[in-house]
Amino acid sequence: MKTALSAKGLNKYFHESETFQVLRDVNFEVKKGEFVAIVGKSGSGKSTLLYLLSTMDSDYQGRITIDGTTVTGLSQNELSRFRNAHIGFVFQFHYLLPEFSVLDNVMLPALKLGKKPKESIEANAMELLTMLDIRGHEMKKASKISGGQQQRVAIARAMINEPAIIMGDEPTGNLDSKNTKVVFDIFRQLAQERGQTIIAVTHDDEFAANCDRIIEMVDGKIMS
Amino acid sequence: MANVNIKISWVHLTSKIRQLIVAVLSVTFGISMYIFMNSFMNGVNGAQTEITFTTMAHIRVYNEQGGAPTVLIPPNGSGDTLLSVSNARHISYTEGIRNAEEVIRELQKNKEVVAITEQVNENVFFRNGVTKVSGTLSGIDVANEIRVFNTVQYMTEGDVNELKRRSDAIVLGTGLANKLNASVGDNVSLTTSDGVGKILRVTGLMQTGTGSVDKTRALISINTARQLLSKNKSYATEVLANVDDYNKARAVAGDVRPDIRYKTEAWQEGNGQLESANTLRDIIAIAVSLTILIVAGFGIYNIMNMTVSEKIREIAILKAMGFEGRDIVQIFLVQSVIIGLIGGFIGLLLGFSIASIVDRIPFKIASFDTLPISYLPADYILAMVFGLIITFVAGYLPARKASKVDPVEILRG
Repeated sequence: MKTALSAKGLNKYFHESETFQVLRDVNFEVKKGEFVAIVGKSGSGKSTLLYLLSTMDSDYQGRITIDGTTVTGLSQNELSRFRNAHIGFVFQFHYLLPEFSVLDNVMLPALKLGKKPKESIEANAMELLTMLDIRGHEMKKASKISGGQQQRVAIARAMINEPAIIMGDEPTGNLDSKNTKVVFDIFRQLAQERGQTIIAVTHDDEFAANCDRIIEMVDGKIMS
Repeated sequence: MANVNIKISWVHLTSKIRQLIVAVLSVTFGISMYIFMNSFMNGVNGAQTEITFTTMAHIRVYNEQGGAPTVLIPPNGSGDTLLSVSNARHISYTEGIRNAEEVIRELQKNKEVVAITEQVNENVFFRNGVTKVSGTLSGIDVANEIRVFNTVQYMTEGDVNELKRRSDAIVLGTGLANKLNASVGDNVSLTTSDGVGKILRVTGLMQTGTGSVDKTRALISINTARQLLSKNKSYATEVLANVDDYNKARAVAGDVRPDIRYKTEAWQEGNGQLESANTLRDIIAIAVSLTILIVAGFGIYNIMNMTVSEKIREIAILKAMGFEGRDIVQIFLVQSVIIGLIGGFIGLLLGFSIASIVDRIPFKIASFDTLPISYLPADYILAMVFGLIITFVAGYLPARKASKVDPVEILRG
């Protein structure tokens, strides 16, 4: 199987008040289609690791390769374009744009990418919304639908550009158990049926236990 | 790609209509005030200049007395002669312009000159019964005088053309008529400095708006004036000319000066106070109106800053999705430029409306009927340009701040 993501020798320091090493020589690989959970106590560096992998934080030592591209050392603008095309995000809070319709929210990253005509983007977005069972709400404002629906819209938005990897920062952290199950099942289904690579940071043991692989972080190092 | 940014800008703008209206109004107010202030000041300047030019031409040619005293004995070159002239004086051989037609011909050669007239001015005593008043008698060439000074407009009673028809007709300034207690149809007598007297009939009254002129000036036909002074048919004390644009008077005077034997003076040379007053009024108008525009700019800056702070999470998520710094700048800059454009166009209309309302406010002082307003396209263009520059700057600063948002910091909470 092909490698979707590899991290080599990642070290990261925080310099606030005093220098503190958050990540200590982190090495790992994620294969294509794998559904990986990163777990650990708060302060263990798991979120920090995710933001390095997401290319939003470029202040680190080591090397990150995503989908065959070494992202370490790229300029901010190049990283922006890379994220747009290759990475989808799902956060603890949905972070939808509240003034836009559900459909517009889903379409935005693809409109930004600009590789397809608007009509086909809209068709894709509708397809995703149907798959995630939010069909019928697409013209509502993003702020007018329920929390579980919002998180599913965020997933649809993450998938619109068919990214190499979907990254989740506690994607179910703000949901009740019913919606947690819904979101987990969606991830599960995406990994199995579409071969979608997913990396999610989570506190939820049950969520983690059902993933393909668990990476456990302790004091900035990977256990296991 | 750019379409997405503009779409986002548009949604941001239209989702907060009240905020949009406030921002637009601040620009509207600034731009309309700019236009009104400048239109008003230009109107005042124009009216002031117009009043001035009721009695003053753009270019004046006259025989200047003074200068070095007449040289009676040519200085001797040899060293053994001592030459002393004590109390040297002017011995004036020529007074006034003897051959005014020649001067007029020279002036006519210049293409900028649009109207020329000649005058014979003389200080005289007017008398009506026992009242004796000194004043200036102007012998005028009626047809040309009207062309230069539009004298007809300032007649409060009677007809200035009567001077052409009657050699004993006189038109008095309203102030002078008051002092003499004379009205149309009355006779006044006058005496020149040489002691020649003549009785004239008042056929009209005029009011130029310049008090000192109205209190002393009287008009008669130029031929009557020549007769009074026993001068030849081509005699004039001054030749006056108007040019196309009074601001060019100085250049035109410079052009014709070498061809004319007499002193040639543009209006600015004798009236520095008018020019400086005009310039000062312009400076005040621009300073006040720019201040208003800048205050409007602060309004936009404040609103855009608030918008950026409110939307900081959205900015972070846009960056996470792959929007670059310059996309974010574009999103927020487009918003302030749209505010500037809408506010600007409404401001142009409002400014024009305010100006035309003020133009109708009665203001009956001197020769005014309403407050003076001018409508110059340049004011409207500049207002729009300044307005857009200020909204651009006021929008750019918050936009740049937005583009520097670090998504990691915001999204990690």
